[in-house]
Amino acid sequence: MSREYATNDWYPVADAARMIPGHGFTTRLLGEPLEVSGSFENPVVTARDGRMLPVQVRYGHVWTTTGSAPRPLFDIAEADETDRTFVPCGAVQVRCSPLRAVENFLDIAHFPFVHTGILGEEPHTQVAPYKVEIREDADEVWATQIGFHQPQAAKSATEAIETRYEYRVPAPTTAVLYKTCPPKPEAWDVIAIFVQPVAEDMCIAWPWMALYDDVSPYADLVQFQQEIFLQDRSILENQKPTLLPLDPRMEIPTRCDLTSVVYRRWLKRKGATYGALTTAA
Amino acid sequence: MTSVAVGLSRDLAAKRVMRAEVQGYDIAVWRDENGGLHAWNNRCPHRGMRLSHGFVRDGHLACLYHGWHFRKDGGCAYIPAHPELEPPETISATVFSITENAGVIWVSATDTAKAPAEDGEWEPLRSLSFACPPEKVRHAIENTPFAGQLPERAASGHLTAGSTALLVHCAPLGDAETLAHLLVAAGTSLAGRKALSRWCETARESAEAGPA
Ligand code: FES
Ligand SMILES: [Fe+2]
Repeated sequence: MSREYATNDWYPVADAARMIPGHGFTTRLLGEPLEVSGSFENPVVTARDGRMLPVQVRYGHVWTTTGSAPRPLFDIAEADETDRTFVPCGAVQVRCSPLRAVENFLDIAHFPFVHTGILGEEPHTQVAPYKVEIREDADEVWATQIGFHQPQAAKSATEAIETRYEYRVPAPTTAVLYKTCPPKPEAWDVIAIFVQPVAEDMCIAWPWMALYDDVSPYADLVQFQQEIFLQDRSILENQKPTLLPLDPRMEIPTRCDLTSVVYRRWLKRKGATYGALTTAA
Repeated sequence: MTSVAVGLSRDLAAKRVMRAEVQGYDIAVWRDENGGLHAWNNRCPHRGMRLSHGFVRDGHLACLYHGWHFRKDGGCAYIPAHPELEPPETISATVFSITENAGVIWVSATDTAKAPAEDGEWEPLRSLSFACPPEKVRHAIENTPFAGQLPERAASGHLTAGSTALLVHCAPLGDAETLAHLLVAAGTSLAGRKALSRWCETARESAEAGPA
């Protein structure tokens, strides 16, 4: 494991809209306790030694970093499109590596089995070839030209459609999904998962959406996402080992796992191994 | 004796999967549609998902995560994401030895599973978990009076108390827990079974209350 790389990334520690002045709370980041307090406009994050950590509010969340030379927080351009509905979906704590949580989010082959009747269903299990690349200029993993049959691709979907997907990994613990928007076919819905690495084997997933959906009640949108994440949690807490293995001999990928293969390779190359198993067990 | 009693035969119906622990290994135990038993390392070779969460279909154990099918010999038969693909021979679940006799399922993670020869005819009573190691379970059962008298251990291993007989197989779970599989002599009345069941619960209370 390497905390060193991880300390210089930004991580979500709170849903900004739910900050209540006078009601600070304790959380953990990279194995260390943190105190989160203040308000939406002025959040305060304090380390155990009393040090005030840098903070910023982006994408509906309070972000912080513990490192001395933080990399800039990635940009999601759609966050500035004011005609979208922005939906922070709460927090789901999962007893697994933060990297396993991201990898699960990048995986479409599990839809028919884990999100049966919602994101996939048998017999539509086939995953057609798609493209994955590391975009060197931005240092991001991108998977494009993904298509999948989905019974209810979004809360706003009224029938099964062939959904188009693109995935983007702008940081080791963040994945952004661009997918067909049922009511507005020319635009993409954006669904991201911001993962707070509590420890190497424990994380909090903060799903966030930027949608074109002015029909579904807000609570329904949150519930739709929560249900999906709870289904994923039952998988994630039963994967062994808990840490993400980077040694290619430990798990056997197939063609549809190309995103995961490239994601693991990218992590290894960067030394972003907090939450990873770097030697064969 | 390296085989461990993982459960009562009647508690694992056809096409069912359960989880067990044998000699420190996490194991998936499943019964195929013909009644055949299988014990595998509880880890899918694809992405490490516990196979005990899987489902039995077409004579295969399928993993819950991505639905890969594994044949009875452990080999991967089918990858749903690529229906046309013939899975490589090298993809396989790790298979352990399993057998069943007199209503009890036995698994060995290190060699061929063997069930002990039992004297007499036995019927399953129940499985009961104890929050203490097997030695304490045995000690408590032998020292808890049944119908006013202490049970006696017969030469063949079972316990007798008056006219009733009880066979106990203990499987350790980690260091601090035990799963005990209880059988009674064939033909024991319903009242007799209930009394034995209550007696084991009393024994459990004293086993768990004892000094650590
Ligand atoms: S982890 Fe078992 S099929 Fe993918
Ligand atoms: Fe999922």
